[in-house]
Amino acid sequence: MRNLKRFLLPGILGLVLGTFLTGCGKGGDTANEAPSAFIFARGADAQKLDPADVDDGESVNTMAQMFEGLLGFVPGTLEVEPRLAESYSISPDGLSYTFRLREGVRFHDGTPLTAETARFTFDRQMDPEHPAHFPDASFQYWQNLYGDVERVEVVDPMTLRLHLSRPNAGLLSALASFPAWLVSPGGFDQHGTQMPFNPVGTGPYRFVEWRPNEAIIMERNPDYWGTPKPGFERLVIRSIPLNTSRLSELVAGHIHGLDGIQPSELTDLLEDPRFAVQSAPGMNVGYLAFNLLNERMQDPDLRRAVAMAIDRENLVALALDSYGEVANYPAPPSFLGIPEDGGPIRRDVEAAKSLVAAHPEWTAEPITLGTFGQPRMYFPDPQRIASLIRNDLEAVGFKVEIINREFKSHLHVTRRGDFEMALLGWMADTPDPDNFLSTFFHSKAAVPGSATNISFYRNPEMDQYLDAALAVAEPAAREQIYARALELWARDLPLIPLVQGKQITVLDKHVQGYLLSPTGNHFFGPVYWEAGDPEE
Amino acid sequence: MDEENPELAPNLRRQRLLLLLAELRRFAVIFLIASFGIFLALEAMPEDPVSLRVKNPDPARIMEIRESLGLNDPWLVRYVRGVGDFVTLDWGQSLISGRPVREEVARFLPATIELSVLGVLFGTTLGISMVLMAHATGWRFLLQPVRGLAALGLTVPIFWIGLLFILFFSVSLGLLPVGGRFDFAHPSPTGTGFFLLDSILAGNPEAFWITVRHLALPVLTLGLYPAAVVAGTLEARLGESYIQRLVTALKARGFSSLRIWGRHILRLVSGPVVTVIGTQAGALLGGAVLTETVYSWPGMGRFLVDGVLNRDLFVIQHGLLLVVVMALLAITGFDYLARQLDHQLSIKPEDSDA
Repeated sequence: MRNLKRFLLPGILGLVLGTFLTGCGKGGDTANEAPSAFIFARGADAQKLDPADVDDGESVNTMAQMFEGLLGFVPGTLEVEPRLAESYSISPDGLSYTFRLREGVRFHDGTPLTAETARFTFDRQMDPEHPAHFPDASFQYWQNLYGDVERVEVVDPMTLRLHLSRPNAGLLSALASFPAWLVSPGGFDQHGTQMPFNPVGTGPYRFVEWRPNEAIIMERNPDYWGTPKPGFERLVIRSIPLNTSRLSELVAGHIHGLDGIQPSELTDLLEDPRFAVQSAPGMNVGYLAFNLLNERMQDPDLRRAVAMAIDRENLVALALDSYGEVANYPAPPSFLGIPEDGGPIRRDVEAAKSLVAAHPEWTAEPITLGTFGQPRMYFPDPQRIASLIRNDLEAVGFKVEIINREFKSHLHVTRRGDFEMALLGWMADTPDPDNFLSTFFHSKAAVPGSATNISFYRNPEMDQYLDAALAVAEPAAREQIYARALELWARDLPLIPLVQGKQITVLDKHVQGYLLSPTGNHFFGPVYWEAGDPEE
Repeated sequence: MDEENPELAPNLRRQRLLLLLAELRRFAVIFLIASFGIFLALEAMPEDPVSLRVKNPDPARIMEIRESLGLNDPWLVRYVRGVGDFVTLDWGQSLISGRPVREEVARFLPATIELSVLGVLFGTTLGISMVLMAHATGWRFLLQPVRGLAALGLTVPIFWIGLLFILFFSVSLGLLPVGGRFDFAHPSPTGTGFFLLDSILAGNPEAFWITVRHLALPVLTLGLYPAAVVAGTLEARLGESYIQRLVTALKARGFSSLRIWGRHILRLVSGPVVTVIGTQAGALLGGAVLTETVYSWPGMGRFLVDGVLNRDLFVIQHGLLLVVVMALLAITGFDYLARQLDHQLSIKPEDSDA
């Protein structure tokens, strides 16, 4: 009896474990078979799926599969092309934009695309009395990007015209960007205030289900007007917060692509023949800002000395693992009016040393440098950037104290102007230089508490240039004005651009048709599965 | 079990009622203190959650939104309203997603409860059965894994263990999913939000199996710490000399080991063990943040942490209050249970104080 018992227990345990493990093994799919669903993972869930009321990349990257604008960017570039509009024309005075809409396009709910249904998207952002102008939505982009649009006119059933109060050279790329993606008015009729959770657009995939903090599930839009047709039955975008877990999912073959991992985590993937790593400079700049509300920072020589002391190549090599570029100007070189040269800031340790030596008042107290914890595309490791900069500055005689905060606290402090020097970055929403330069240097963005011009740089001349550049349509004339604005920046140096981070996307080798967009958004519409051995 | 003396019964009942009242009063006081503490912490937060939500804040629009949310009212008004809203289940909306907080909680809480209940259940069962089995059978080697487990569960970060499990079971062996709560090719079970229960109710064995596979690693990971704590408490209790004497006495009476350990001794030591389980459960209800993060589990822990990181005012306020209430309920409940068990104990003649 006792002997039997001795064997019984381990026996049962082993049996149970055995069945469990073998039972689990079923359902491993073979790599060559095209999966019915394309599964992509990133670190966080979308916030809302309402193009007019979000600014987080996760939401935009989800909506990019379901929504389209009157205009769009040619895949892989920042060039504007007609999308839901068949063609467009701009009046000679630059005050009215006329769009001829594409025939036969339907929103996912069956609502046909007409001038009347297209205007809904603009009306609801512009008109505070509009029923779809939700009280808790910020509509922040209307003010910034489309504020010059005064009136929307339905010319005929398939022609829509926007009337502007003044010319705006940035409007075309703004209309190709996500806040202007067309939302079905039928979706609003059906879902009301729940519209942000039930997106209805015209894109290649349509919404099926949102499991918050888990996944957003979409399916092929069988009536998609464009080509190529969507390549998968289903498209699933998962949120997997931990980078290591996300990588494990990829390696285990449960997902077909991911983003949001750090350059340092790429090493194994680069050697793995099953995956393709794509990277390209994103529309971002990481910078160091001087707070000009602070007396000590008002000294232009101090700012110059700091600029000359920082080794920006070193930042790229050590803090970005070379997945980035030195930012020579406050906007990326692919933007209009931004030269492709090395920029006005030259590293000169000796000159910086002598400046610091000549100003004992700079080093009486350590200068504080604010930084933050969470990685961003421009600073994959902001604390490391801060300590590398401290090394450079101390090498020329400065004393630096790093203040590390959680990201939102840091944002709060910088927007209020409670700092001396701070690290921050900007990810552009539209590929227009204005989106960087007015954000950084216009005095209207320097209101303490809500500033994006966190240097609190106020210069009427600069404002004048920035406003003038928007009112001019020809690119050559705009370039000239921006050149002057950049001269002012180089003279006053309210901020030092440091680096431009790269966006990194990893895909299964079988996944084809994907083009990294310089906007930083994923467009999975043309993506398809190519069966075959990826190793050849 | 209820061999109550009829004369004593009303007295006992009154005593129990008083006990319950005292418990309720304690409950209310702790709730008020906690709610005030949470409110003070939110009040002390310098950041404005409304303007931090957006990249390009427009001061006028921010003021409008703040006004519509009632954030510009005096603090006492907001505190009273906050507690009132919580009690009446009017929890407002997330500032970030715009979803009603109550709906969010209704979605994430079952995921967390399913995971924590199974985790605690698994952990305590493992801990208790291993220790008791080792003592009952005299197979000392059984104590080794328990001790090892205790050391592992108490010292090694859950985070790291979770990743090891993933690398071994999911990546190397390919047996279990890496994370998530359910398969995305299938519609998830609906109803109560507890997927195991829902798939049983729907009579869907496939959904049940998918759920089990997704639960396996998180439950294993989550169970380690409770297993360690319970095993440690039990070991300490069993080491006490009166237990040893009792065992000898019971053995002398000719009882089988199964009966001695599985019934008499287990009942004797169950009081403190139940309290420990209660504390564990209370702590886990706030969401096992690390486990949920490692396994991409859509539960309360991640929801609350994201809420704090985003300064999502109403999520923090009502989410934390809910956690306080649930933790109190769990601890009070298990306390009560432990006392009931102790009460039976106190009738035993060897306890001189009774």
